Amino acid sequence: MSENSAPLIIGFLCNWCSYAGADMAGTSRAAYPSNIRILRVPCSGRVDPMMIVKCFQEGADAVLVAGCHPGDCHYNEGNYYGRRRFALLRELLDFMGVERERFRVEWVSASEGKRFAKIVTDFTNEMTKMGPRKAS
Amino acid sequence: MASDFTQQIREKARELLEDGTVECVIGYETGSDGISARPAFIYNAADVERLVFDNTCTHNLVKYLLNKKAKSTAVVVKGCDSRALNLLLSERQIERDKAFVVGVVCPGIVESRWNERSEQLQKRCDWCRQHTPVVSDFMVGDPVTEQPPADFADVAEEEAKTAEERAAFWQQQAERCIRCYACRQACPGCYCTDCFAESLDPEWVGIRIAPAESQMWNTIRAFHLAGRCISCNECERVCPVNLPLSLLNRKLEQKVLELFDYRAGMSEDAPAPLITFKKDEKLGIAE
Repeated sequence: MSENSAPLIIGFLCNWCSYAGADMAGTSRAAYPSNIRILRVPCSGRVDPMMIVKCFQEGADAVLVAGCHPGDCHYNEGNYYGRRRFALLRELLDFMGVERERFRVEWVSASEGKRFAKIVTDFTNEMTKMGPRKAS
Repeated sequence: MASDFTQQIREKARELLEDGTVECVIGYETGSDGISARPAFIYNAADVERLVFDNTCTHNLVKYLLNKKAKSTAVVVKGCDSRALNLLLSERQIERDKAFVVGVVCPGIVESRWNERSEQLQKRCDWCRQHTPVVSDFMVGDPVTEQPPADFADVAEEEAKTAEERAAFWQQQAERCIRCYACRQACPGCYCTDCFAESLDPEWVGIRIAPAESQMWNTIRAFHLAGRCISCNECERVCPVNLPLSLLNRKLEQKVLELFDYRAGMSEDAPAPLITFKKDEKLGIAE
């Protein structure tokens, strides 16, 4: 896909805000690294912690979950539930050796195309600096 | 004291069985090595003399209530076990009026092995801050004043390592795991009839023998108990390869306490942290 595929970042984007935000990045020609592989999910609350652990297990260097800003969830409260889950999951992952920096959660609205591009660019740079994960 | 507890439990069990309050009393009896207790299911008043209570009564008998949903059942619980009862009540897995709870103020439980008695207190008893059952219909023993919350020295020790060392440590543990799922079978909080571990589509945990699959199992097992684990530490006790599962549970317990000020199973009504939320809370996520 790209000349340099490392680091590999898996991105879970909610259908209503963040996926549209990524779309906006495209239509407004804001470039971002192709290290991110985007998966569209109905809601950030749909992102089962098992999916994230599985990503790391299968060799992802980092995972990004992006959803609607708190208060803007299409399903009213999906991202609030998600926020609690991710806060705990990040602690558990870090405890088991997956550094907390490798799992990032961001709120990206449908109009924040440029911001999405910046988030992905910064995240990719940071992960490049950190290097690949040491153990699975 | 232990014999006094035993006597009180027997008398109560006899009364409950004779007047038909319950169909079965789940308690402890002396195992076939003559030392360690094992779970006992008493259906007849004539058998109550089998019941005992001493410091080898390690099992969390609340787990068995999940198989006794239809009939009224009495169960002997220690402090930690009683929290499991609240957990199952709050998750609507059992009905309060079908369970008669014989609470025992726990004297602390010792490590016991087959055919050998030890006086070494289990580590969970060092951490324990709930010797008196939080729910009971009949109390054996006098309620004690609980110590202030324990620190998490074991968790801190692990966290002092580098991420690389921690990854290597858990990799080693995963290599030893034989995925017998004894941890799940012993856990009062693990009652799903369809566990993700057996799911084939999606295949969350592959059937191949590989550390990565065991890692997946151990990580998610711990996470599914986030905010639900009541620290009975039965998972670690039953592990045939002695994986340090309490570390994972306690890491989450510590974080749940810190972020949500919540201890699982302390009441029937308080919603578990992951089934509720506050709109304005700060959790260090995307702020």
